[in-house]
Amino acid sequence: MIPLAFLMPGQRGRIVTLDVGRGKARRLMEMGLLPGEFVEVISNSVGPVVIRVRGMMLAIGRNVASRIWVEVT
Amino acid sequence: MVREILVAIAGSPNVGKSTLFNRITGGDVHVANWPGVTLTRTEGYIEHHNVKIKVVDLPGTYSFSAQDIGELIAREFLVKEKPDVLVVVVDATSLEKSLYLAVMAMELYDRVVVAVNMIDAASKRGLHIDFQGLKSRLGVPVVPISALKGIGVGVLLDRILEVAEGKTIRRESLKIDYDGLEPYIYEIARHLRIKGALKDYPPRWAAIRLLEGDDKIFEELKKVDQDLADYVRSVRERAEIELGEDPEKIAIGSRYMFIDDLVKSCVARVRLATPSLSERLDKVMLHPIFGPIAATFVILATFFLIFAVNTGFPLNIILEHLGYGELAGLVEEYSLSGVLGLMFDWLSTTVGGWMNSLGYNGWLTSLITEGLIGSLGTLISFVPLLLMAYIFLGAMQDSGLFPRAAVAYDNLFRRFGLSGRAFFPAALGMGCSVAAVVSTRGIDDDRERMVTAMTSPLIPCQARLLVLLTIASAAFANPLHQSILTVSIYILSFILYLLTSKLLNKYLFKVEHAPDLLMELPPYHRPSLRVIWWYARSNTEHFLRRAGLLILGLGIATWYLLNFGPSGFLSNGNIAGSYAAMLGRLLVPITGLIGLPDWRYALAFEVGFVAKEGLLITFSSIAGVPDPIEALKSIGITPVKAISLALAMNYYVPCLATVAALFTELRIGKYVIITILMELGLALITASLVYWSALFLGFI
Ligand SMILES: Nc1nc2c(ncn2[C@@H]2O[C@H](COP(=O)(O)OP(=O)(O)OP(=O)(O)O)[C@@H](O)[C@H]2O)c(=O)[nH]1
Ligand SMILES: [Mg+2]
Repeated sequence: MIPLAFLMPGQRGRIVTLDVGRGKARRLMEMGLLPGEFVEVISNSVGPVVIRVRGMMLAIGRNVASRIWVEVT
Repeated sequence: MVREILVAIAGSPNVGKSTLFNRITGGDVHVANWPGVTLTRTEGYIEHHNVKIKVVDLPGTYSFSAQDIGELIAREFLVKEKPDVLVVVVDATSLEKSLYLAVMAMELYDRVVVAVNMIDAASKRGLHIDFQGLKSRLGVPVVPISALKGIGVGVLLDRILEVAEGKTIRRESLKIDYDGLEPYIYEIARHLRIKGALKDYPPRWAAIRLLEGDDKIFEELKKVDQDLADYVRSVRERAEIELGEDPEKIAIGSRYMFIDDLVKSCVARVRLATPSLSERLDKVMLHPIFGPIAATFVILATFFLIFAVNTGFPLNIILEHLGYGELAGLVEEYSLSGVLGLMFDWLSTTVGGWMNSLGYNGWLTSLITEGLIGSLGTLISFVPLLLMAYIFLGAMQDSGLFPRAAVAYDNLFRRFGLSGRAFFPAALGMGCSVAAVVSTRGIDDDRERMVTAMTSPLIPCQARLLVLLTIASAAFANPLHQSILTVSIYILSFILYLLTSKLLNKYLFKVEHAPDLLMELPPYHRPSLRVIWWYARSNTEHFLRRAGLLILGLGIATWYLLNFGPSGFLSNGNIAGSYAAMLGRLLVPITGLIGLPDWRYALAFEVGFVAKEGLLITFSSIAGVPDPIEALKSIGITPVKAISLALAMNYYVPCLATVAALFTELRIGKYVIITILMELGLALITASLVYWSALFLGFI
């Protein structure tokens, strides 16, 4: 299990937990970023991490992305 | 018999609700390609088959949790005003995401019509949707539409009327299987029913929301029944322990499970999408180095185009270098604004001559030719420029570039305690500061929202661009120098936007770390002419309405102040003895600090408190020529004075409309006053720096 922020562009993973506090976790889940969901990293360098989840692109700030734990698939 | 029904348009962000609203009502509310454009509710009317329909466009929301201002507005509206029919818009190209809010709405509400929007884009991408299947699974009418292309809107209106009349009968609101949560839902709902609490909501819905930890509804319950609230809390805690999982995770997960199932059975991809232009563009836009460069380049290029069409620059320079000096002059003179300026000069002289020949040669002629026609000409001659600027801004907003720019700038903005989201108020501020201030509602983080509301008025709006261009053209003959002055002020304004945000974060809010960005990036699409037209039209109309009021108000007021003095009407043109001169002299000690120790500039600043166009009206009135460029020249502007004037004009105070918007958004008078003082300070510092260094270096 590693933080989402550690994934390289093109890598895919499966969300395990959202360790980001309640309000933020709810917002992420409502946007479709649920534990069990598959994500693909599109870009990840200095700014926000951009991922694809449920067919949409989502930009997530680095702090939050470091506390979303995924299983690399 | 004409009935009136109330219809609300709800849905996830960026699914095309406002586009549909405009289509239905013929309105022109703001449409753009990023989530969170609409942040207020807008109303419009249409008549269909003899029924008057009142349509309300709501902010897009990911849920009804009332976590941000948009969600609060949408939820309050649905719960309190109970529309006769709720139109839930979903995006055909991403049903798996946009159905989430639709499902929540259908749980809450039974009179729903689902509009599956963007079917044009969906068919291009090879998506085939079984609308009949969706309809039977959801139990409500489902209408495929393309709000942009105007497909299916008539059918949608028919369905709306049917639902309003109770023709399309639905047995009950949508029921999702909440799995392990069901017994707890049942338990809470039963108590709500027995005690008759929370009557505004369906009991099952309220029970689910309470289990999910919806603070808003919990507070409501606490107010009416403290015991029941305590009991609900205990059930929630019990559920969490017994299920070994967060109830809200189960609830959200169950909805998404329902959606996945629905999409699997009703959507087929008939051909594979090829790697799109979108992806190739994003390779650049999301690159750590090229991204910010590309974003900046696009913004500058837009500016350049606007200049080119309006001032003839750089065509005139090129022609001059090729040795066609005369032609260059013609290009400048017959640029759009040039032509209009000439027209009003002509009108003013003709009407003046005509009135004189009729024997009116006193103050009435002066009022009409200078006070009214002059001021009108001043402002009207800018319409082409505005229209052009709004067309380019509108096109960029509809393209999908803005959210990428927000990502690209995030890293830079973090150093100033902002996230990339702060790009939006700044970019919208180039159109209008009021729009910029209102757009800060879309920012989740409270502090970031307040800070950007306070600092985004620093970005020159269109009104200030007009004044800037006038000052630049009056003081510099060379169009290159004019552009350099204008562009530098823009760059400086963006820098000040970031710097002052940092200072406010540090000293006023005492928090320095930047909030995290969380934003959906919609696909790019070719800007729609219709959408651009809506934006350009509504903004230009707004400008004209404002101009009308300004001319009537400020035009006549300055004319009066200039033509009357303690000794009555000053027919001899002795304006030094006018009330205006007296008023102006009051402020001269301050304008002296920035190198403008002249009552005429001081007066212009005073009039400009209302709106910055007031400066131009004042200069024209003082000089008695409609063209403000000529007016400024005749007042004796110099390059140094021009720079100082331009800086001071841009920052010295937000216009009255912006101040009003600040009050509404910030709600704390202290912050509004700080904003004004900060701007005043910036104006004095920047303008006097220019003046004193010019003095020191021996330029004056
Ligand atoms: N291809 C296509 N694009 C559309 C259609 N309807 C809207 N759009 C585009 O979708 C984007 C979002 O439209 P809006 O009407 O602003 O969406 P909204 O739902 O009001 O968004 P928020 O106010 O942010 O919640 C714009 O770029 C529109 O041009 C459609 O039928 N087809
Ligand atoms: Mg909208």
